[in-house]
Amino acid sequence: MLPSNLLVVWKRKGEILPRYAKLSNDNLEVAGGLIEAYKEHIGEKKKALKTVVTDLENKGYEYRFVRALALLLDRKGTFACNSKINPIDLRRKIFQATEKFGLPTTPEKRQRIIEAVASEMALTSENFEEYLYADLDDELILEKFAPPSPYELLEQYNLSLSQTLLFDSTELSFTASGNWQSLFYFVKKLGLIYEVFRDNGLWVKIDGPASLFKLTKRYGISIAKLLPIIVANPEWTVNAKILWKYTNEICNFKIESQKHGTLFKKPKLPPATYDSAAEESFALQFQAVKSGWTLKREPEPVPAGTQVIIPDFSLERAGVKIYLEIVGFWTEEYLLRKAEKLKQVEAKMLLLVDEALACEKLAALEKRPQLNFIYYHDKIPLASILRYLEAAFEGVKAREIKFLENLPVKFTEPVISYDEFAARIGISTEAAKAVLTVNPPPGYVAMPNILVSKEKLIQINNQIEECLKQSGKLPLTQAIRLIEAEGVSDASCALTQLGYKITWHGINSEQAEVSKPSTMGE
Amino acid sequence: MPRLWFDKGTLLLKGEVGTPYGKWDPRNGCYRLKASHYKDALEYFKESKIRYEDDVPNLPPLEQVKSNVELRSYQNKALDNWQRAGNRGVLVLPTAAGKTFIALKAIDLLRTQTLIVVPTLDLIDQWRKRVRECLGVEAGVVGGGENIIRMVTVSTYDSAYSQAAQLGNRFMFLVFDEVHHLASPGYMQIGEMYIAPYRMGLTATYERSDQRHALLPLIVGDPVYSIDIEELAGKHLSLYTYEKVSVELTPKEQETYDAQMSVFKNYLNQRRIVLKSPADFQRFIMTTGRDPHAREALLARNRALRIAVNSEAKLNELAQRLEMYKDEKILIFTLYNDLVYTISRRFLIPAVTYQTPREERREILANFGNGKYKAIVTSQVLDEGMDVPDASVGLILGGTGSTREYVQRLGRLLRKKEGKTAKIVEIISKETVEVGISRRRRLKTGEAS
Repeated sequence: MLPSNLLVVWKRKGEILPRYAKLSNDNLEVAGGLIEAYKEHIGEKKKALKTVVTDLENKGYEYRFVRALALLLDRKGTFACNSKINPIDLRRKIFQATEKFGLPTTPEKRQRIIEAVASEMALTSENFEEYLYADLDDELILEKFAPPSPYELLEQYNLSLSQTLLFDSTELSFTASGNWQSLFYFVKKLGLIYEVFRDNGLWVKIDGPASLFKLTKRYGISIAKLLPIIVANPEWTVNAKILWKYTNEICNFKIESQKHGTLFKKPKLPPATYDSAAEESFALQFQAVKSGWTLKREPEPVPAGTQVIIPDFSLERAGVKIYLEIVGFWTEEYLLRKAEKLKQVEAKMLLLVDEALACEKLAALEKRPQLNFIYYHDKIPLASILRYLEAAFEGVKAREIKFLENLPVKFTEPVISYDEFAARIGISTEAAKAVLTVNPPPGYVAMPNILVSKEKLIQINNQIEECLKQSGKLPLTQAIRLIEAEGVSDASCALTQLGYKITWHGINSEQAEVSKPSTMGE
Repeated sequence: MPRLWFDKGTLLLKGEVGTPYGKWDPRNGCYRLKASHYKDALEYFKESKIRYEDDVPNLPPLEQVKSNVELRSYQNKALDNWQRAGNRGVLVLPTAAGKTFIALKAIDLLRTQTLIVVPTLDLIDQWRKRVRECLGVEAGVVGGGENIIRMVTVSTYDSAYSQAAQLGNRFMFLVFDEVHHLASPGYMQIGEMYIAPYRMGLTATYERSDQRHALLPLIVGDPVYSIDIEELAGKHLSLYTYEKVSVELTPKEQETYDAQMSVFKNYLNQRRIVLKSPADFQRFIMTTGRDPHAREALLARNRALRIAVNSEAKLNELAQRLEMYKDEKILIFTLYNDLVYTISRRFLIPAVTYQTPREERREILANFGNGKYKAIVTSQVLDEGMDVPDASVGLILGGTGSTREYVQRLGRLLRKKEGKTAKIVEIISKETVEVGISRRRRLKTGEAS
């Protein structure tokens, strides 16, 4: 973050954008030069660094750019006071001396006073002059400097510029590819209020309590603090309203990862940790049983009206998604708030509730079909969860089968996988398979993973016969290649379907052969 | 039953009824009210015979206040007017007229949780001392790294603003020292985010050059008492004389000054820019961000001004004055920090600027107060209401043309002491821009030279 007088912007027709420093050779050179200058000035006064900056300004570089870079570098340095004696003590001595001698209005009298005090403190009068105000900012010595790379410096500059512009923001909306847990954590911690809405994905709008009454920049600083967490994601878009004080108009500030992602420094984020030991041990146990469900920690937020719930886990299997929330030990107020939110959740959610917490409010929620409850005592009951998941999955599958059976589908492709088909009509692969293998559409043959048209099978058959006619023998590997080249992945199944026999010589498929049983040839 | 509680600087109301003050907040499905409508909302409930649950205030415990404040007649009048206006309003009194005591007396009468809001950390120290001496209780402090809330708490405007979400429901009485600060766009929100129904504003300079003081009645109440310096001078405050000394720049300074000033003027002439008002100047400053020539012109002007301010001739004049008033207590002002340190080094006078460590500043002011130090030199930090006991000579070197600055600086010197006449001497450079600044200043205050 920078002082607002160093902010440089483009503004046109209500759009506003900081004048970002591209990572161009020119800019990298300025940044690199400045970093070198700081390295070379270790052991020198801050005043000398200011001269370097002024020189750059006089060479025609944008002064706000150069000064901002220098300010960011100042923060990478350690400055210390160069005096053997605390300057405050030194000044006290000399001011007290004037009590005795009177104020020096001539250079001679001044010299006399200084010599008297200096000798008393065992200093030369030169040292005395040097130390007297050694604690002023300009006089401090650059002791240590942790140089960033020129790239890092420019990236930091761009991020700081954006944050500085956001100081004047009245609200901000964003969408991001992840990191939700810490984003919402900070929204709360910074005293902001959010609302979610859908517009090509989930968006979060941020402002503060008093924003309801009037347009206010009050929350600008807090909003600016959120930016690094948003841009730490691989994908993001930020839309903010800026109250531009100079023209008193509201401007749009929009940046997105696709266009601006490379301009920013990406802060490292700590890896997601478990909120509790209960959660962690549950995750480990669940993953050990190989249920067919994929467990994900900290999934994307689930909208609950204008608010969100970030469930502890999501469980996914063949297109079926169930959120899982562990309601451990919490205060009553928290539970009420949670219940209030859960009332508005549209997604399917399993709640694991500690028996001790069972209360009226939660019980009332049990009527909602989206929500399911498992009460537990002491330990999270893995077996019950698995039973629930199995049932849920069977239930979903049954509904989908019914749906599919009543669905007039016409197939045109010669080959189509169940996965592809299921995704196309939005059901699980298992359901698609269950229906289509038992009852394949007319003109099609069902194989373990795909449907193949009979026409396609005849084409394949013709090719194989051609090969057999020529050489009398066809190695299995060659047959598989041939079939797969036709887009049929279940090759051995296709062979069986067509009535071919596979003769194995040992266990190596290289030596296996495909032949037609003689009965069929006659 | 409707329930009202405090939420980060606002009030939330949940229940079957609204109030004339609330606004429906779709974000969380409640009515939201400005915290400043707290008392209005409660009165509305009472008048409408609506039973309600009030979870708003979170007040620190009351302490045993033992007051020994005796007010002068005009101070009593001021307090009376304020009480009659419903314990709200602004009191306009010159510096050193004892504004602090009126506020302390009001705290004593109300005996309620009070937040005193002040512009600087120095003033926090000063109020804390006064609260201890006059009310017999320790004051809490929020700001400058401290965060202790007590029945009487002192805070900076910055902290009162930035922590409104935590402090807004902890006090019933707000005292704004130097209340003209409150009218700035950001600080205005302090007024809205605190539930305190009782409010008092104190200032010597009610009017702001940007006219925003017109907004103060909304959040503190109307001006209810005003007395000017002439009415008090002689009786409660000491008299003073004013003298202006013009010195000529040295020939070499004059040459550089003219060269730099002509760069500035040429630019204005070329672009046909006329700078008459502060707003004109603000507009010009804005163009310097886009136009390198404008920036060069501005830098040239600043260089010229620096020569006028730092003129060797002025320092010589200063040396003579220090000789002349060597038995008196002297306060030296200048706008430029560099010049403060030049003077401090050259005449071995303690300097007080924004860079001075807080402890050292305390020590210097204490030693100046008890007479150990005969002089101090300072830039703008002491401008507001800072207690600098009985200085008898003020020397002004350079400065800007704002009215407030002048009144406050004068006021600082006006400490009543038996049989004393204070002197104000302004040392300016002849035939430079500074003459204009100084003239404008005097015209605005209506002071005769």
